[in-house]
Amino acid sequence: MNYDADVAIVGAGLGGISASISAVKEGLNPIVIERGEYSGAKNVSGGRMYIHALKSLIPDVEERAPLERPITRETYKVFCNKGRELSFTFKEKSKTSFSVLRAKFDRWYASAAEEIGVTISYGTYLMGLQEEEDGITLNTSLGDIRVKYVIDAGGVTAPVARLLGRNLKPEHLMLGVKEVISYVQDLPEDEGEATTVIGLTRGLKGGGFVYTNKDTTSIGVTLKVDSLQSGSIKASEVVENYRAGLGLRGDVLEYSAHLIPYYGWGNLPPLYYNRVLAVGDAAGLLISDGFVIRGMDLAIGSGVIAGIAVKKVIDGSPLSIYEEMLKRSFVLSDMRKAWKAFQALSNPNFYGEYEDALCEALSREFLVNGKQRPTLIEALLKSFYDNGLNFSEAVKEIWKIV
Amino acid sequence: MENSVIPLLKRLSLNKYEVSQESHISINTNICKTCVEKPCIRVCPAGTYEAMPDGTVTAHYERCLECGAALVACPFGAISFKWPDKGITYRYG
Ligand SMILES: Cc1cc2nc3c(=O)[nH]c(=O)nc-3n(C[C@H](O)[C@H](O)[C@H](O)COP(=O)(O)OP(=O)(O)OC[C@H]3O[C@@H](n4cnc5c(N)ncnc54)[C@H](O)[C@@H]3O)c2cc1C
Ligand code: SF4
Repeated sequence: MNYDADVAIVGAGLGGISASISAVKEGLNPIVIERGEYSGAKNVSGGRMYIHALKSLIPDVEERAPLERPITRETYKVFCNKGRELSFTFKEKSKTSFSVLRAKFDRWYASAAEEIGVTISYGTYLMGLQEEEDGITLNTSLGDIRVKYVIDAGGVTAPVARLLGRNLKPEHLMLGVKEVISYVQDLPEDEGEATTVIGLTRGLKGGGFVYTNKDTTSIGVTLKVDSLQSGSIKASEVVENYRAGLGLRGDVLEYSAHLIPYYGWGNLPPLYYNRVLAVGDAAGLLISDGFVIRGMDLAIGSGVIAGIAVKKVIDGSPLSIYEEMLKRSFVLSDMRKAWKAFQALSNPNFYGEYEDALCEALSREFLVNGKQRPTLIEALLKSFYDNGLNFSEAVKEIWKIV
Repeated sequence: MENSVIPLLKRLSLNKYEVSQESHISINTNICKTCVEKPCIRVCPAGTYEAMPDGTVTAHYERCLECGAALVACPFGAISFKWPDKGITYRYG
């Protein structure tokens, strides 16, 4: 039987581009199809990228890539009831993570792949597929492609898996709603801030983020889809209330949204099946503690491994080698480490009640009202008790996360 | 300098769209007539789904941000969604 290529990669986002680069380095000649007019045209992240995985593929990425700012400040902001606010900042001049804007970044990353000989067919989407004994035929908007193996790099909506019968479920998804605003934080050029915001999306499971870019700021919320379904507010309103709550000045430049996988290590969909290897969001490879989200480095890491694995499979290894390689890498080991925190966050107390109890205690501690000032631990115990929460349970739950 | 809430349609108008002639979303509105809560309206960040006085829901497909939520927004399977031919092109992303 004839093949158009050994492997087709569906989606030229972070996972797909990484897989294509590593496949070419392995001597393969992959076909990549991308729905957007260019890579990144349809992609949305917060976005703070940990660049370790990318550096292993492109060592001089810091000099070449359109990264926005290195994240040198990590801020947590907790908005409690009664206008109370708790925030703290950790500063460290490191260059392990950068803010990015995907329309710019992915376009550059795709061009880096094209430079080493990867062919990407843009404006091309996957519509159907047929499995055959010795291959698989993809029906794309530009015609059929027959290949030995497929890498599903189509992101959270997993186009290949869905055509093969997988249904997406609201409980495994978050919705990210984002705005890029013209506000520029007053920081030196080589510094940037990542802020995690808790308590401005009340009544919904989720949180918010603020990232400083070179000359814009990215803000947004990430919300469990099932909590939006059963809630009483529209996603489009949550993000605006959030922006108003933050009080940042500046015009809105772009309004965007994207689903986010929320499976966790214990609920991952299959990483490989039939003639398919799944990478990045399509494989549910994303770490979320409910507030902070890490999917970009996992997409790059799993993509790189898929490119190497597919070569081994063509040379005779079983497909399961892909999962074994992922297990030995940071991708699945970090997913596994994050599993406990992930489970702890299904506790609804995390979304509102613990924050309020914490602020209540701090308020008791700081307000001098003539009465004797309690110790912090006394204040915490009393405040949790008054709010009907169990302090030692809370400490246990929080301990799982940190 | 805007610190107050900006209406959704104004926010959507900031985006670059190439709208197809044909809708990429279809709705089985018979199901909607029996649906009281209409969760699709809360989930969709683009305000694509609008309730009509007769209990059905109409899809303003040209507003679609292609986030993918339409694939799970309706618990009763009334929404059929495929990717549009052209659609949105983000400049920041
Ligand atoms: C609001 C928000 C904030 C986030 N913040 C962060 C963050 O701060 N840090 C972090 O690490 N991660 C973050 N993430 C997660 C991160 O964006 C993803 O994990 C990452 O983009 C996954 O990469 P991917 O290559 O798997 O998928 P994608 O980047 O989504 O790429 C999939 C590609 O496939 C294409 N495609 C889809 N369907 C088809 C089809 N049928 N045919 C052809 N092509 C198709 C798409 O156009 C796209 O280019 C965030 C996500 C969101 C939504
Ligand atoms: S599309 Fe689904 S959720 Fe929306 S009104 Fe119709 S039945 Fe209800």
